[in-house]
Amino acid sequence: MLPLTLLHLFLGLSASLLGAFASDHQEETVKGFFGRNGTSQSTHTNNWAVLVCTSRYWFNYRHMSNALSMYRTVKRLGIPDSNIILMLADDASCNARNKFPGSVYANPGRHLDLYGENVEVDYRGYEVTVENLIRVLTGRVEPSVPRSKRLLTDEHSNIFVYMAGHGGNEFLKFQDNEEISAFDIADAFEQMYQKKRYNEIFFMVDTCQANSLYSKLYSPNILATGSSQVGENSYSHSSDKDLGVAVIDAYTHYVLELMEGINKTSQSTMQDLFSSIDPNKINSHPGVRSDLFRRPLDKTLITDFFGGVSQIEVVDEEEGVEEEAGLAGGNGEDSVSSTATAQARSFVIPGRRASRSKRHTEPISSTSTTTEANEIWGWVGSSTRTWGAVALFGGLVGWVRMRS
Amino acid sequence: MSSSYSSPLLRLGVVLPALTVLKLSAHLAGVSDVLLHDHQLSSPLTSFSQLQEGLYLFRHGIDPYNGGTFRHSPLLLALFSSVLPSSKVFMATLLALCDAVAAWALVRTWRARQNVPSSARDGLVAAAYLLNPYNFLPSLALSTSPLESALLLLAVMFASQKKAAPSLLSLAFLSHLTPNAILFLPPLLLLLLTDPHSHLASPQKISFKRHKVLPLAVEFLLYVGVLTVASTLVAGNLNWVAQTWGTWYAFTLPDLTPNVGMWWYFFTEMFDHFRPFFLMVFSVHLLIYVAPLCIKFQHDPLYALFILTGILATFKAYPTLADMGLFLSMISIFPETFPYLRFPIVTSLLHLHSALLLPLFHHLWLTQGTGNANFYYASTLVFACSNGAAILDCLFAGLRIAVGKEVDGYEVVQE
Repeated sequence: MLPLTLLHLFLGLSASLLGAFASDHQEETVKGFFGRNGTSQSTHTNNWAVLVCTSRYWFNYRHMSNALSMYRTVKRLGIPDSNIILMLADDASCNARNKFPGSVYANPGRHLDLYGENVEVDYRGYEVTVENLIRVLTGRVEPSVPRSKRLLTDEHSNIFVYMAGHGGNEFLKFQDNEEISAFDIADAFEQMYQKKRYNEIFFMVDTCQANSLYSKLYSPNILATGSSQVGENSYSHSSDKDLGVAVIDAYTHYVLELMEGINKTSQSTMQDLFSSIDPNKINSHPGVRSDLFRRPLDKTLITDFFGGVSQIEVVDEEEGVEEEAGLAGGNGEDSVSSTATAQARSFVIPGRRASRSKRHTEPISSTSTTTEANEIWGWVGSSTRTWGAVALFGGLVGWVRMRS
Repeated sequence: MSSSYSSPLLRLGVVLPALTVLKLSAHLAGVSDVLLHDHQLSSPLTSFSQLQEGLYLFRHGIDPYNGGTFRHSPLLLALFSSVLPSSKVFMATLLALCDAVAAWALVRTWRARQNVPSSARDGLVAAAYLLNPYNFLPSLALSTSPLESALLLLAVMFASQKKAAPSLLSLAFLSHLTPNAILFLPPLLLLLLTDPHSHLASPQKISFKRHKVLPLAVEFLLYVGVLTVASTLVAGNLNWVAQTWGTWYAFTLPDLTPNVGMWWYFFTEMFDHFRPFFLMVFSVHLLIYVAPLCIKFQHDPLYALFILTGILATFKAYPTLADMGLFLSMISIFPETFPYLRFPIVTSLLHLHSALLLPLFHHLWLTQGTGNANFYYASTLVFACSNGAAILDCLFAGLRIAVGKEVDGYEVVQE
């Protein structure tokens, strides 16, 4: 009796273990795919950005400039407009007091125009409210809200959330008449976690006492940074003599400066970003909260959050061999593959690409000749068939004539 | 029965060639280009431009039955891509010859009916066919419907001459072009087994050798089968069945191009849910006329066939004017009925009326855009009314002959 029971137990255990390992195979394949992501180890497949400027009026020009500089950065690094929610509480570029209408400049001397011709503002003016921000983040929008105003993320989306405006200890002021608290933001992120609306969030705040705004977060996979500690102000960088207002905040200015030197293929890490900000220059101490973040900061690429870069592998259909690409590709709707392959030729090992293209052209030419041959054979066949049918018909007529 | 015309101009040998040449010269004068796309003269199943498109596709190795536009029979595909050229001039010549052959067949039928080798009315009969605008306009429009008329008249001619095999072959070929033609088989068989002579005035119960019916029917089916095999050989697969015969009898009426019939309008506004039912009703409707006609006119199957021609022309799915032209021209071989027609003037005026209205409303709807489909549908209803009047009058006359002329003091009463 006992040996039989032991045998059954052994069989059951081995079967369950086998089953566990068998189901792990798919997981292994997926992990392997993301594991070929170089050093980044990120598991995201698409990127989104929510950029919020909460202050209005002309003298808060710099807050709009902050948000627009982040907009410029993420767009330049590959996130398309469809994946960016830009919320500007006021229109600085078309303000009546703007001496240079249609432009928002990032530095004194007006060397960099952030506004340009290709800016898509999703929430503007009085639409920038606490309620709208929380609705956008959690996805609980009215059915009538258009797609461009929705955050259509899934569980493999990396989201970059940037907020600029006037803030205080655990709050951020919206439009002079309401404020969002750190608890609200934490709860919103938790809702997003429960609804599987993000893979990882990078939360950046540039306000006074910014670090307090991320102090209440409790959901996993969030990396947060702020421009100043509790009790500190965040200062503006400098003002332009012709515009007459401060054009950008100090923290965002140095972030932007670093970003301008980065392109889609950059391997700079978040640690580089955080280390590059000098507290002496910005007169405040930026903080980083990484306890909720699984990956090490020196292995997390800046383009994981700021750029539309994700792991892509091109599979060769003919040979069945997977080629590592690690390419930069947008996750926008159109021409992803074409831009990906276009960039592939620039820096993937040329030898491999050349040999591959040769392999691609050969089968195409052979199929074209076979189709031609098929066509000729088809035409010959149809001619035979036609005459055969006519002969049959003629035979029938002749037979009938003979009968009568 | 023969009229007293003795003018040399009306001899058959003059009329036939003269009118054929006239038709050809009309084509060469460019009339065809005007009429080519007319919806009254050619339907999607008989249109010349569709035939050319199918031939082009076939020549380039593409299956013409793969799309939804080519609905001609594969036999025509075979003939026109091998033996016959498919140019417009040739088509016009071919159709002029077809009309000549049809007129000649009608004359031969007339002669067989009268049991004379030739008569004075031959030219008149031929002219009644060739000068009928319902006949020569479709052949100028290069539609294949005159071909169908010719085939039917050939079948009738051979049957009147008791030549079973050619008659059945013509009908089989016609059935490939128009499946409706199978409905002509019962009267044709009766005609083959009796005689074409006029017995309208003295109806008797029919007597024919019943055991001969089955072999003839089997022979017909055999010819249809061989032609089906030939068609499948040309087309390469069986797609053509759904595209040609299926156009008539499928559960959807796929082509709703306006024509002079009454189906298209009805089915443009038909809900999908009811389509199969109404298609079945419309199709079976044609069936119900065959048996009563054959029974009532068992003493004269040629007359039954004649009436059936008119009924099919009125009620079939994709008619053209040529179908009605055949019926109206065939009246000329039944002059014994003329005194008994009750309202020939009304019928002819109605036909004139509809012949003017049809192109007018078509133009108003589709070219000018100031009318709508209801205008054209109304004119097709008027056309159907005139057809109905013609059929009813002929039917009445055919039956009334048996009663005889009116005698003073006596009245004809129906019990």
